[in-house]
Amino acid sequence: MKRALYLFIIWMTAVSQASGEDGTIVFTPQWTAQAQFAGYYVAEAKGFYREAGVDVRIEHPSATQPAMSRLRAGECHATTLQLCQALEIVDGDIPLVNILQTSMNNAMVIVSARGKDPLTQRGARVGIWSVGFGQLAICMSNKDHLDYRWVRFAQNVNLFVSGALDATLAMSYNEYYQLLQAGIEITDKNVYRFCDHGYNVQEDGVYMTRQYYEQHRDQARRFAQASRKGWEWAVEHPEEALDIVMQYVNRDRIATNRVLQRLMLADVLRLQVDRESGRREFRLRPDMVQLASRLMHEGQMLSREVTYAELTDNAISE
Amino acid sequence: MNKLLSYIRHKLSVRVSLWVVLFAAVIFIAALGFFFYQAREAVRQEAYDRATQILDKISLRVEGILNRAEVASNMTQWLVQRHPDQPDSMFVYSRGMLLNNPDFYNCSIAFEPYHFPDKGRYFSAYSKYQADSIRTIQGGSDNYQYFFMDWYLMPALLDRPCWTEPYMDFDAPTNTYEMVTSYCQTIKDKAGKVIGVINTSLSLNWLSQTISTVKPYPNSYSIMLGRGGTYFVHPDTAKITRQTIFTQSLEQPDTAMTALGHAMQRGEEGMKQMKLDGKDCYVFYKPLGQTGCSMAIVCPESDIFGGFDRLRRAVMNIVFFGLLLMLFFFIRIITRELSPLRRLAKEAETIASGQFDAQLPELQRTDEIGQLSHSFADMQQSLVKYIGELKSTTAQKASIERDLHIASGIQMGMLPKSFPTWPDRDDVQIFASLVPAKEVGGDLFDFFFRDERLFFCIGDVSGKGVPASLVMAVTRSVFRSVAARESKPDNIVKIMNQALAEMNENNMFVTLFVGVLELNSGRLLYCNAGHDAPLLIGVGVGELPCSSNIPIGVMPSWDYSLQEARIFTGTTIFLFTDGLTEAMDADKAQFRMERVNDVAAQALTRKQTEPRQLIESMSTAVHAFVGDAEQSDDLTMMAIQYIKKQDDVKLLKTLVLPNDIQEVPRLNDFVQEACLEAGCSDITLQLKLAVEEAVVNVMNYAYPPATPGDVTIEVQATDCRIQFTIIDSGAPFDPTARPEVDTTLSALERPIGGLGIHLVRQIMDEVRYERSGTLNILSLTKNLISPNSP
Repeated sequence: MKRALYLFIIWMTAVSQASGEDGTIVFTPQWTAQAQFAGYYVAEAKGFYREAGVDVRIEHPSATQPAMSRLRAGECHATTLQLCQALEIVDGDIPLVNILQTSMNNAMVIVSARGKDPLTQRGARVGIWSVGFGQLAICMSNKDHLDYRWVRFAQNVNLFVSGALDATLAMSYNEYYQLLQAGIEITDKNVYRFCDHGYNVQEDGVYMTRQYYEQHRDQARRFAQASRKGWEWAVEHPEEALDIVMQYVNRDRIATNRVLQRLMLADVLRLQVDRESGRREFRLRPDMVQLASRLMHEGQMLSREVTYAELTDNAISE
Repeated sequence: MNKLLSYIRHKLSVRVSLWVVLFAAVIFIAALGFFFYQAREAVRQEAYDRATQILDKISLRVEGILNRAEVASNMTQWLVQRHPDQPDSMFVYSRGMLLNNPDFYNCSIAFEPYHFPDKGRYFSAYSKYQADSIRTIQGGSDNYQYFFMDWYLMPALLDRPCWTEPYMDFDAPTNTYEMVTSYCQTIKDKAGKVIGVINTSLSLNWLSQTISTVKPYPNSYSIMLGRGGTYFVHPDTAKITRQTIFTQSLEQPDTAMTALGHAMQRGEEGMKQMKLDGKDCYVFYKPLGQTGCSMAIVCPESDIFGGFDRLRRAVMNIVFFGLLLMLFFFIRIITRELSPLRRLAKEAETIASGQFDAQLPELQRTDEIGQLSHSFADMQQSLVKYIGELKSTTAQKASIERDLHIASGIQMGMLPKSFPTWPDRDDVQIFASLVPAKEVGGDLFDFFFRDERLFFCIGDVSGKGVPASLVMAVTRSVFRSVAARESKPDNIVKIMNQALAEMNENNMFVTLFVGVLELNSGRLLYCNAGHDAPLLIGVGVGELPCSSNIPIGVMPSWDYSLQEARIFTGTTIFLFTDGLTEAMDADKAQFRMERVNDVAAQALTRKQTEPRQLIESMSTAVHAFVGDAEQSDDLTMMAIQYIKKQDDVKLLKTLVLPNDIQEVPRLNDFVQEACLEAGCSDITLQLKLAVEEAVVNVMNYAYPPATPGDVTIEVQATDCRIQFTIIDSGAPFDPTARPEVDTTLSALERPIGGLGIHLVRQIMDEVRYERSGTLNILSLTKNLISPNSP
């Protein structure tokens, strides 16, 4: 379905690789253009990167192409990753450094079809992103002996809407609203929010390979600070930030709309506020790293527990 | 507004016209309302039929093409499953599909990862038309991992062939988007395991263009929704693929829109009336074959009913202005028709002002107004005649009234006008009043003196007015003439009765009381012919006992009885007619005898029993009772007070005691004092004994046990006798009526009682009892000089 997009990405990739050599940071958000990445678009559009003296180019992946594969292939230098993805990658012997943590809460939910409680759906066919989010859901399925049968899908909620799935994983800021927009009725009963059941693990953060980071430490720091400034500006000016997001969305001809993006931005900004401190902390929490690491290790998704120190550089996290 | 209403109230022509126009308007509204309703329903039905026709046509066309794709896909599946182990054939099959069906968009025959070990992770035989040639390549790659795509996953998950949700396919070489939908079915191996999927895509551009151009009405438009409510056709192109029918409801709930979305998602067919972008619209919808899509035609109500509304407005305007015109002409016509009435009214006003000979307009009309004019002229003549008659009648009436006034003067002149009072007379004083209810009345009273006797009468003629007054005059003349020679009241009444009965042709009668008071002794002889019994007001208030005789003038042969009473000095005889007891207030309640008695008792208490005072008190009480009510009957009162003092009386004293024997010592003191003053101290003891006996008897027996009552003892002494009079108002009891006690019998043999009165008889020279009204009067007389002495 996204064949055309794929061709477009190939073409874009070719351009980016050529220009990556000149000190430009090629930054790949882990999904197609949407308000989830508003802070970076703002930083670019408002010239925060330029002010910080760092050259940044934002390039999105295709729906079926994990951002990490771009990082691994050297097609980009920085990417957003969920904490669990980062742990998996570090465990897979690619050292990463978290240069900016934006999410302070988990946004993943399970939505069941036909108003059923996801916890009663033993053996159900549950949709999961093909690009590799949803590690916590797998942990939870194993731990609670729900034995979900995972169906990996590329994007959107059509499979669930067409009735081919019993349940689907969704991000509270994205697919959740898409489901609502598709006329699916969502009540308290047919939604399971991971953050409320002991799985409140941080998600989006900006990562670089430790190798690249070591060589471009200063650039990375400035990139992170300008990005953070972009997010802070978006908090102050949500409607203007939304205008900027819509420019990116329209440029990439993403099939979404302003209403959805407004809801998404509001939810993403909400997730950036730490539940305990009530502040936007922009930091990786050691306890959450430990929790995610332990859960995934227990779920045999990690060969070992990855530590907080492995993901950070003191100079940045201080 | 009030001015307008007032104008309408005063203008008959406007009012009638308004009513007519109002009724016409009601009928028009009802008829047009029904017509408009029916017409509107017909227009609505036509719109529905029209939309349904279009929807059916498009749906049929879609189904036809879809069927073709399904058949082609089935054939390819059959081929693939016959040679599942020859990957290179798949390119031929996919290419063949397009060759045979040039209008198909593309075809993929995709397999599970690593299904063909030598082909690697991805194997998808993908064919697509490029200009006129078909390009066939291997379609899977890291950037396009087809097995995560909806088209690949759906048929396996649903376990049946299916059509995917339409999607925009981007063609990089031409940089164009094409809306496509895919028919997908699984490829299974012999064991029934899914090994791949055949995907046959159709371009929906033609469909979206067809649907976009559907325009049954100038401002109508069409939309097409996918399973998830996504717009695939919409006049606002920004919404296509980006928004669903529910998107706006995420921020502003819109129940109508949501309901429409769900109905279309469920694949229902129908019509909904709702507001879209602030306009009332009709939405007709129907599913499009098996694609899961649904199409809707949105028709603004103003479009559907545009012609109808224009017609309705025109008709309403015609009706409205027609009604206005109607109102105008009605007012004009009615005003013209009614103009003679106005002239008539003006003339009537002139007549009403007193000009009875005013000239009425001559109308040559034979309708109701003409009739009215003639009737009015007749009425005018009658009125002139009537007024003349009225004048003469009024003059006559004035004359009669004058006569009546004179008659009243004459009647009043017949009655005594000067009333004897002390000191003109020392034996009696009299006062009377007569107030007729009309100019003249039927009541009468009269009195005169003859031979040391007072002759008096009071009467009431049946009826009122002139007839009664004539009978009254006759009665009074007869009384004067009869009483001039006859001294006994019963004889006077008898003679008067006969005289009146003889000339009584009109069956009138007179109630009459005639009395003759002997002025020296206070003895009253009287005869009552059906009149109210007079009151005696002396030591108490009581009625004079009266026999039940009939009024005079009725039966000439009636034998009227004579009655006698003793009037003590100071006692007032109060005579009255039924105009007093039957005086009525505004509520028609009567004054009644009880009130007369009360007023009399009060006068007695205040010692105002002098005739003029008594009658004034009584008049005041009656007027207070009657208030503003009209006097219903003649009211006549006469009071006669006997005030004669015996010349030889040298002692006259009175003592009033309660009926308590503890008071006996006071009595004895009173008797002793009287004896001393009368110069008969020598018999004090006997007199004490006799008086005490008589008084104690009264105290013990006159009143019911434990009932308080008074006993009055009056002593009167002359040179030759002393008299004690014991008066009470208890039960009638005559002690003198008891037989003499046989003193020859022993005490045991004698009956109980009777000894006391015997003793009294022994002591006193005369013991006399009389019942006067409600009073027992016992007189005990003792001669002081022996009758035999010189």
